Amino acid sequence: MAETQRQITLPAELEALPLFREHIKNACQDKAGLDAQSIYDVLLAVDEICTNIITHGYAGMDPGSIILNVEVSAQALIVTISDFGHAFEPVEPPTPNANASLEEREAGGLGLFFVFSSVDEINYESSPVGNTTRLIKNL
Amino acid sequence: MQLFFKVKQQPEPVVPNLGRITLSLLEGDPSTPFTIKQINDLPENIKRRVYRNLIPPVLLARFDIDPITWLGTNKEQRVFLSADSSSEKVFISARTSTSEDDEFFALELADNMLNGIELNLLLLNDPASSRYTIDKDEEGNPTMFGTVRRNLKAEAQAKEAGLAPGQIRNSLSASKLVLDQIDTFLATIGQRAYFLEPLTYASAWVFEKRGFAYVRGHKLMTTIHEEFQPGGALHKALDDSSPFRQQSQWDHVRGRAWAIHDGILDVLETNWDKLRMVKQVGKFANVNSFPNAIY
Repeated sequence: MAETQRQITLPAELEALPLFREHIKNACQDKAGLDAQSIYDVLLAVDEICTNIITHGYAGMDPGSIILNVEVSAQALIVTISDFGHAFEPVEPPTPNANASLEEREAGGLGLFFVFSSVDEINYESSPVGNTTRLIKNL
Repeated sequence: MQLFFKVKQQPEPVVPNLGRITLSLLEGDPSTPFTIKQINDLPENIKRRVYRNLIPPVLLARFDIDPITWLGTNKEQRVFLSADSSSEKVFISARTSTSEDDEFFALELADNMLNGIELNLLLLNDPASSRYTIDKDEEGNPTMFGTVRRNLKAEAQAKEAGLAPGQIRNSLSASKLVLDQIDTFLATIGQRAYFLEPLTYASAWVFEKRGFAYVRGHKLMTTIHEEFQPGGALHKALDDSSPFRQQSQWDHVRGRAWAIHDGILDVLETNWDKLRMVKQVGKFANVNSFPNAIY
């Protein structure tokens, strides 16, 4: 069971990213077992997922909301991100070529590679009543 | 296997088209959502039992209306249901007398293109308060709450009396009660969310307080808040040029709502028709686009 659960809802705009980061840091404050690296990994993943929602999920729309919920327990740090933009569908990831020069790399893709590397579990559900991404970092 | 996301091209319906509600469908998975059309296709008395859940009994009791029979103390019909077979809408209203002018509650829910639920209309009027004819122009034509034409004289009087745009009377102050009831009704029929397009800035603000989030327009709401601050474009446009653009209106919800109703968003080269809100059943989004607001 979560010891701490905090929610924040902000408009889907890039200016909201620092506020989401601050919210997660505040939720993690003074929690035993939470090392700086784990928090950093989750912040990285949240940044990438939210950027994806802002730039692709709400593309072509007057931006709606992103709801971010943080749960901290002794076992895990869980961040749930909900939005109401276009749904995504899961496909196999392209393998990023880390050796390629910046000019040769395809736009996007690398960010989500970081997401998958930085948390232990990602669950994504989409439906016409909203999209939910759940990031789990085991502690 | 790791996954990669790309934007889905075709949205899927909330509810597959399952046809009429049958006993076997009822005996099946209780989480399968039903649509308004499916309920409307039920026999009249079953339909009435289901839609009874749309009005909080305590609200009817406040006006001495029996929550089961929908009759007043003089045995006259006080609650009216319109839910025609094969229609995708349900409209339910309640009055303190036989006169439409004494309607204190009106609600319309409808299926949308994806078989999700839209809240098309919610009226909560205090029938004992003064009535302002903002709903009809001076020739008696309907104004659609001031959206297609306006009765400026009646609107100025309504504003002076403390009403928000779109209101013909004081509110019943029962929005929490009614919206909680809608959550309960939708959970009963297996729907997880519903949508609406707020008529005015004031109604969007009220729906924020009741747990709604934005599908479209959250950014617009925060921009409106910023631009009403001293020095902002909307603050400057409150130039006392009409009763709806008084300088004092910048710092409260109703004042801003009247200015927006009067078209002040032109200065931002936008208008009030882009917003769409969503309420997830049982959840509270905690949006606050106007911190420390005064209504």
